[in-house]
Amino acid sequence: MSGGVRFKADSPASSGSASLVRGGSQGFGSGLRSLKNKAFSRADLSTFGAEQQAHRDSGAEVHRAVEEAVVAAEQCHGAHGDHSLMRDILDLSSPLNDAAAALVDDSFLRCFKSAPDEPWNWNLYLFPLWALGVVVRNFVLFPLRVLILLLGGIVFVVGFAAVGLVLQRAPQRKKLAERWLIQFLCQVFVVSWTGVIKYHGPRPVPAAGRVWVANHSSMIDYAVLCAYSPFAAIMQLHPGWVGVIQSRYLNALGCLWFNRTQAQDRTLVAKRMRDHVHNAESTPLLIFPEGTCVNNEYCVMFKRGAFDLDATVCPIAIKYNKIFVDAFWNSKRQAFSAHLTKLMRSWALVCDVYFLEPQTRRPGESAQQFAERVQAMIAEKGRLKVAPWDGYLKYYNLAEKHPDLIEKQRRVYSNAIKMYADSTSAAAS
Amino acid sequence: MGSGQSLSFGLTQADVDELIAYCKGAFTQQEIEALYKRFRSLDRGKKGFITAEEVLSIPELSINPMAKRLAYMFDSINFKEFLGLLAPFSAAASRDDKLRCMFAVYDVDGDGAISTDDMEVVLRQLAGRCLSDEELHSIMRKVMSGAADPQRGLTFPEYRAALEGTDVELHVEVPADD
Repeated sequence: MSGGVRFKADSPASSGSASLVRGGSQGFGSGLRSLKNKAFSRADLSTFGAEQQAHRDSGAEVHRAVEEAVVAAEQCHGAHGDHSLMRDILDLSSPLNDAAAALVDDSFLRCFKSAPDEPWNWNLYLFPLWALGVVVRNFVLFPLRVLILLLGGIVFVVGFAAVGLVLQRAPQRKKLAERWLIQFLCQVFVVSWTGVIKYHGPRPVPAAGRVWVANHSSMIDYAVLCAYSPFAAIMQLHPGWVGVIQSRYLNALGCLWFNRTQAQDRTLVAKRMRDHVHNAESTPLLIFPEGTCVNNEYCVMFKRGAFDLDATVCPIAIKYNKIFVDAFWNSKRQAFSAHLTKLMRSWALVCDVYFLEPQTRRPGESAQQFAERVQAMIAEKGRLKVAPWDGYLKYYNLAEKHPDLIEKQRRVYSNAIKMYADSTSAAAS
Repeated sequence: MGSGQSLSFGLTQADVDELIAYCKGAFTQQEIEALYKRFRSLDRGKKGFITAEEVLSIPELSINPMAKRLAYMFDSINFKEFLGLLAPFSAAASRDDKLRCMFAVYDVDGDGAISTDDMEVVLRQLAGRCLSDEELHSIMRKVMSGAADPQRGLTFPEYRAALEGTDVELHVEVPADD
C-alpha cells in the first residue's frame, strides 16, 4: 500500500462529494467534503449549499480538512516502493475524470439553458389548428400588440412631457404622476404579451428600511412587478432604446444604474442603495440579487449587497409558466427586442408572482447566510433549484477570478508527491 | 408531422452508426444523442466545433489544475473528435484505451514518448509552485528510471508497464435525463 494522497472522483450514485483517497486500489473516502467541483454536476444541486458556503468563504474549513487529511495520510505512510510513485505521478485519472464530467454536463450552463420549443402538433387532426394558431399569432395578434405598444408608448411620452411642464412647481405631485405613468407603461407592456399574471400576497407599499428582492429571468420581470406596484430597481444600464427608457424616464422612480463589470460603479451604487432604502419618501427598492437572468428553473447565488443594508428584506418569487412561451431572456443569444418580439408573438405570458413574508436578519447571521435563507424561500415558492454558482461567471472565468481554487488542489497534490522527492524527510514526519 | 421540429438536430442513423463505430462502441445511440446536444450547447455560434475558450467557460472545468492542457486538447474539435476524446471515459472502453488517453495527455509534444519536458509541463500544472524545481527534478529522475532511453522518455509500453496492476479509473456517466 502506498501513502500517496490523491483525489478520487466518487461514483455518481454516492453522496456527491469527491473524497480524498489514500493510495491503494481499494481506497475509500475519508469523508472529506473536498474542494473538487466535479460532483456539482452529478447529484441534485440543491444539496450543495453547504459545500458552496465553504467555497465562498475561501474555504477555511475545507482547507483545514484538506491539510488534516494530508497530514494523516503522511503519518500512516509507511514504506513505499517505486510502484506507488509511478502510480501517483503517472496516473492522471482524477483530474481527467473531473474534466470529462464537466465537459459532459455541468451545473452552471444548465441554469442558462432555454427551454426547447416543444412541438405539439403531433398529428394530422391538430396540425390545421396549430397552423391556424401560427397565422393568428403572427398576423393578427402581433400587429395588434405592436399597435397597443405604440399607442401606449405615445401616451406615455406625451404624458410624461406634459407632467413635467404642468407640475413643475409641485414636485410631490409630479413624482406621483410620473410614478403612475411608469406603472401605466408597464401595464401596456404586460398587455402586449397578454400577460396572465397572478399576484399572491399583500401589495407592497413604500416604507423606510425595506428592500424587495426577486429572482430574475428577464428584464420583463421589472415590467411584471411594476405593472402591479411601481418599484425603483437596480439595473444594468443597457444600450439602445432600453437605455433611453432607463435613463430618460425610470430615473423618476429613483432607479439606480450601474455597469456590472465596473467595481467603482458598484461601490457607488451600494452607497446610494443604502440612502434610498432608508428614505421613507422613496419608491420601494427592488433588487435582483442574482445579478443576471436565469432560466426560471434554477436560482443562482444571491449577491450579498441587498442583505447588507440593515433593512427588512421582502422576498418576491416570480415563476413563469412555459406553456406558451419561455420568458427567459438569454442575453448572449438574443437581443432584447427579439426577446420581446418572441413574447408578443405567443398566445400569452402566464406567470405567478408571490410576495413572501418580510425577513429580517437574525442575530449572529452573516449577510451571506441571510442571503441564502431568503434564496431558499424564493426557490421553494418558485419551484426553483438552487445552484451554487455566482451568475457573474457568465462574464468571468472562474479560475481567473479565484485562482486559489486551483492553488488549493495543487497544494494538496504537491504535498502528496513531495515525499517522493526526498524520502528522508518524508520518513521523518 | 407538420413542421414539427426534429429533436435530433439533424443526426441521421447513418451518422450515429458511423460515430458508434468510430468510438468503438464506447457510447450507445442514446448517449451519443445526449452528447450531441451537449456539444451543441457548448458550441456558442453553431460553428460546428468548440474552442478552448468555450471549454474554459465551464466553471467546473476552468478550475481543473490541468485546465490549460485540456483546453488545448479540446480546442477546435468537431463532434466526432469530441466523442473520440471522451470515449476512454466510457465503461465500455478497454484498459488500454484508458491508458492511451492518459498517455496522450502526458505526451505534450505528441512524439509518442513522455520526455522530461512533457512531464515537467504536466506536473507543473498539477503541483503548481508549491514544489521546488529540485523536488520536481528528483521525482522526474525516479520516474524516468523506468524508461529504456531516458533521453527520449517513457514510451507507451513502458508507461503501461509502470501502471501495471493499478486500477485505471477513468469513468464518466453520460447524463440521460432526456
